[in-house]
Amino acid sequence: MRGVVTAIAANTVRDAVRNRVLYILVFFAVVMIGTSVLLATLSYVERERILQDVGLSAIRFFGVAIAIFMGVGLIQREVERRTVYTILSKPVTRARFLAGKYLGLVATLWLQLAIMVAAFVGVSLVAGAPLGVGHATALGLMALELAVVVAFATLFSSFATPFLAACYSVGLYLVGHLTRDLRGIGAGSESVAVQQVTSWIHRLFPDLSALNRSIEAVHGLPIPPAEVGLAVVMGTAWCFGFLLVAVVVFERRDFR
Amino acid sequence: MERETIVRVEGLVKDFRPGFGLKKKRVLHGISFEVKRGEVFGFIGPNGAGKTTTLKVLMGLIRASAGRVELLGRDVGDSESRRQIGFAPESPYFYDFLSGREILTFYARLCDFPPERIAKRVEEVLAQVGLSHAAEARLRTYSKGMLQRIGVAQALVHDPGVLFLDEPMSGLDPVGRKEIRDLIMRLNAEGKTVFMNTHILSDVEMICDRVAIIVNGRIAYQGELEAFHGDRKLYDVTLSSLPADFAEEVESRLGAPLAGRGDRVVLRVPEKEMHELVQSALARGARLEEVVRHREHLEDLFLRMVEAEQPGGQA
Repeated sequence: MRGVVTAIAANTVRDAVRNRVLYILVFFAVVMIGTSVLLATLSYVERERILQDVGLSAIRFFGVAIAIFMGVGLIQREVERRTVYTILSKPVTRARFLAGKYLGLVATLWLQLAIMVAAFVGVSLVAGAPLGVGHATALGLMALELAVVVAFATLFSSFATPFLAACYSVGLYLVGHLTRDLRGIGAGSESVAVQQVTSWIHRLFPDLSALNRSIEAVHGLPIPPAEVGLAVVMGTAWCFGFLLVAVVVFERRDFR
Repeated sequence: MERETIVRVEGLVKDFRPGFGLKKKRVLHGISFEVKRGEVFGFIGPNGAGKTTTLKVLMGLIRASAGRVELLGRDVGDSESRRQIGFAPESPYFYDFLSGREILTFYARLCDFPPERIAKRVEEVLAQVGLSHAAEARLRTYSKGMLQRIGVAQALVHDPGVLFLDEPMSGLDPVGRKEIRDLIMRLNAEGKTVFMNTHILSDVEMICDRVAIIVNGRIAYQGELEAFHGDRKLYDVTLSSLPADFAEEVESRLGAPLAGRGDRVVLRVPEKEMHELVQSALARGARLEEVVRHREHLEDLFLRMVEAEQPGGQA
């Protein structure tokens, strides 16, 4: 049973590593991390922080771009290429197929994340910028954020065209990073209705800013373990939640 | 002894909605048929009749709107029902970055085939479909015929007892068609049940035991291939030196122009009319050349069924 999911995941990784567009994106990410050294030289103060800020932002930007780019076509491409016919006609449930595809893409993204992190660590060491537990925590939460992004991109890919799925995914990602601020703004409002609406938006959508600890890492600020733990629990729950809905949608689908 | 029922379809209905907010369109109108163990079953019909839709329901790729569909006694919604079956779709698409050997290994793993036996089984199947020489080549370099064969190979890799083939000879040259036909007959001789979707009737006549003809989403005929030959006794009567007035008379009686070459004409007539026609022809000075029992081909039956289902046809 586990062999089926592993076989599909391994094949997804193999498919992805043959995609040249990914290499180009990773290459640009590494170049961007490298150029953070140049950007840092433009400033007389806090050079190391600028370098790491640009580096972590580049990793996040390219990581999310690759996650959405790959995630939105994850299922739809299989349907269009009709490879799904021969797979689902085997004793493979749709849930296992989806799980295998999802895990394969997450593994691919984490592989690419490792390459970008290696470049970031290299540049930081060369520039003499400090590296510590805060950086490891921020990068770990970033890995979880990518898994959440792939989960909702997979959900959208299970019923929408890649273009629409990309629009939904980008929209949800942006909303996910704004809900905490929105709740803060709402809390300052005198209107109870505004307070409740912004509070519900924050509860309904994934709070992706909980997984963004780059500022603390770059500025050497403490990251409370309890907050990290809560973020990990919530991030994992969002992954399962999105995948569960994706399975329900995918189960009902006809492959005409 | 009654043979085990491998495929049971009862009152299968499938409706599709052409688009959001549009009215549903019924493509399968409560069809029913059964396939028994050891048969080569031909599921035939014109394009758009519902063959592939039926097959996709059987494979769990499309959900039935109503009716009962079982494979080996299990509902098709249960993925375990597909453990003992192999499916080769029409014009199969595969991960073309994989080699023939890699793709078969992948499919064997999907079927939970014992890992220690996978390598040996893959080589056996590659040899069975004549692709051992191309085992290392990437699928993107394969010809259409080779892809068709790798499609059959992936259906066989876990050694299933039942095979579902969607247009297995589609797009193949005569040599490729014969190879696939021989393979199907060999597999059937080994005890495998074969369900074949096709519209190449000559292949059906050569290898199928039973057929079902589907037209406009309804089963128009089903039975053993041999059975329909005896349904209507027809004779081909060859006459020569037919007087012009008698020829006109016969034409109007048959409602069609007489077919033939030179002086000879061939009339296809039912048995009950044959004697009277021959006697009148001889009485009018015609010469009787030949009387042959006409063996109706599947194509004749198929065309009759299709015509009968057309608007205005005789149902």
